[in-house]
Amino acid sequence: MKTVVIGLGNPILTDDGVGIRVSRMIRDLLAQQQTAGTSGDTIDIKEVYAGGIRLMDAMTGYDRACIVDAMVTGRFRPGEVSEFDPAELCGTRNIVCTHDTNLSTALELGRMLGLHLPSAIKIWGIEARDVTSFSEQLTDEIDCAVPVAARAVLSELQIDADVREAMP
Amino acid sequence: MKKISIDPITRLEGHGKIEIFLNEEGDVANTYFQVPELRGFERFSVGRLAEDMPVITNRICGVCPEAHHMASVKALDMLFGVEPPPAAKKIRELLYMAFFVTDHTTHFYALGGPDFIIGPEAPPSERNILGVIRKVGLDIGRQVIDCRARNHHVIEMLGGRGVHLAGGLPGGWSKAVSENERKEIEKVAKENIDFALFSLKIFDDLVLKNKQYLELVTSDVYLHKTYSMGTVDAQNRANFYDGVIRVVDPEGREFVRYPASDYMQHIAERVEPWTYLKFPYLKNVGWKGLVDGMDSGVYSATPLSRLNVSDSMATPLAQEHFERMFEAFGSKKIDGRYQPVHHRLATHWARLIELLYASEHMLELSQDPEITSPDVRRIPQGIAGVGIGSVEAPRGTLTHHYVSDERGVLTSVNLIVGTTNNYAPMSMSIKRAAERLISKGRLVEEGMLNKIEMAFRLYDPCLSCATHFLPGQMPLKVVIRNSSGEIVRTLQRD
Repeated sequence: MKTVVIGLGNPILTDDGVGIRVSRMIRDLLAQQQTAGTSGDTIDIKEVYAGGIRLMDAMTGYDRACIVDAMVTGRFRPGEVSEFDPAELCGTRNIVCTHDTNLSTALELGRMLGLHLPSAIKIWGIEARDVTSFSEQLTDEIDCAVPVAARAVLSELQIDADVREAMP
Repeated sequence: MKKISIDPITRLEGHGKIEIFLNEEGDVANTYFQVPELRGFERFSVGRLAEDMPVITNRICGVCPEAHHMASVKALDMLFGVEPPPAAKKIRELLYMAFFVTDHTTHFYALGGPDFIIGPEAPPSERNILGVIRKVGLDIGRQVIDCRARNHHVIEMLGGRGVHLAGGLPGGWSKAVSENERKEIEKVAKENIDFALFSLKIFDDLVLKNKQYLELVTSDVYLHKTYSMGTVDAQNRANFYDGVIRVVDPEGREFVRYPASDYMQHIAERVEPWTYLKFPYLKNVGWKGLVDGMDSGVYSATPLSRLNVSDSMATPLAQEHFERMFEAFGSKKIDGRYQPVHHRLATHWARLIELLYASEHMLELSQDPEITSPDVRRIPQGIAGVGIGSVEAPRGTLTHHYVSDERGVLTSVNLIVGTTNNYAPMSMSIKRAAERLISKGRLVEEGMLNKIEMAFRLYDPCLSCATHFLPGQMPLKVVIRNSSGEIVRTLQRD
């Protein structure tokens, strides 16, 4: 099975970069473990900066996709990690691209055109505090959520990794 | 008109939030289009090494990183006082044409097109790229996806990285183009030309030959006689990568032309109390508010305005379509140049003409003997300390301005991004749309959100870094208040 883990967001817009940070942590852990390839399964890690068709493009050719993104709902505590199905994906921040279309439309488009798209898509949203200031630093609670979200994704992938290994 | 006091609540950050204030008669008195401003870019940048800017600024936005990368690297050429070799400039421009092709294609098929191809009255569930493809055929859908994919591949090949390219360096480009790469790009460019011609044909068949849509495009609903801005080459032909900034007045006479580095003598930014985003305007005309006309410094910087400032297009097929568009609007020639078209919905047409130009120019560059030259970099010898770089982003003139100390450490940074140029005209178009939908306190709610949205969608605003909180394509909330400032109606996309 081909899996893609996608960190979504803007790495210089404070907490908007949390998805990217989680994907980097997962990449580092997998590099240490070298688990990929043992059973013909592969896991690719990607960073994506806009939703819509761009996000759909990044998932094309994979059987399974895990997406990590920041969200601003006001319904969760900053730093709280929540899991969504694509059907409820309106909660996260970058899935929708104002420049083209939303992910569900993009996925429908891809399927209509016969592209190979993942049959399983899971999304982790991390409630952000600040997504409008330029900074490469996450705010404190959101920074703490990085290993939590990384562990959630790894557990979905049934990979036993100690996230503490990848912490600075 | 009753005096309107702006409640502090209207200064709260909105996400594509539009406030409409009615007067005592219940007609539209004012509209406010609020855009959340991203904060602290200056603070974020000061103290960094200037040469890092092309790979930092291209992260400002996930939609137009290539435009920021190019404006930034041009600013660095000036800051380090180094002129890139011809091949480097051509590689930059070649990549930039591929970017324009992907960006304009996406806008037309996913954003602008649905209004015309499906119709402005259609329910939102159909008025999207899926509806377009159902109408024009699956094969077209594949072509759109293929067009994006092949041009993204070119961008990655030339830029070293897919999205946030890394090829630009002060004084040139980091990597030469091999003969095999050149051949591949040449093939892509040829396919792009076919695709652009085909897209213009769709526009012709489905919009221009449809009486209802043609009326919509040529009606005065979105007509604003503003100044137009764009970059032109030495022969006054549209150019996206390099040249001088030319501004023509609403009647089509050249108002001013200046090198991008002089922008501060020509552009000022108006601060209004109800929004964090500033309104750039022509300093030497002056700010008269959100109005059009010869005395108002409001200008537009869009695909349409780029054609308005150009005497001609630099490539033959684009030139044919350029003439066709101006003739269709009955535009007469003054001093050898067509009078500007002010019908804002024609921006969609202009965008397709630019798509064709970008494709043709990409082919020219890919066949240029110099494009494979290994001489792609001059090493800077000193630091001039000030760098101003400008390109035409798909959605308007983009300017980067850096000042550094003698070590090349940044001490000040200013950016005028494409969308910001059009903040005033966008606000005006929104007001015009609202006036058509609200009269004597009665609202035409049917399709209201979309009709208002059409008014700003044609400008292709890129607010993508800050506006994705709600489901749907463009989060949008319209708040209508009576003359006392009380909310009478709120419309929001579900």
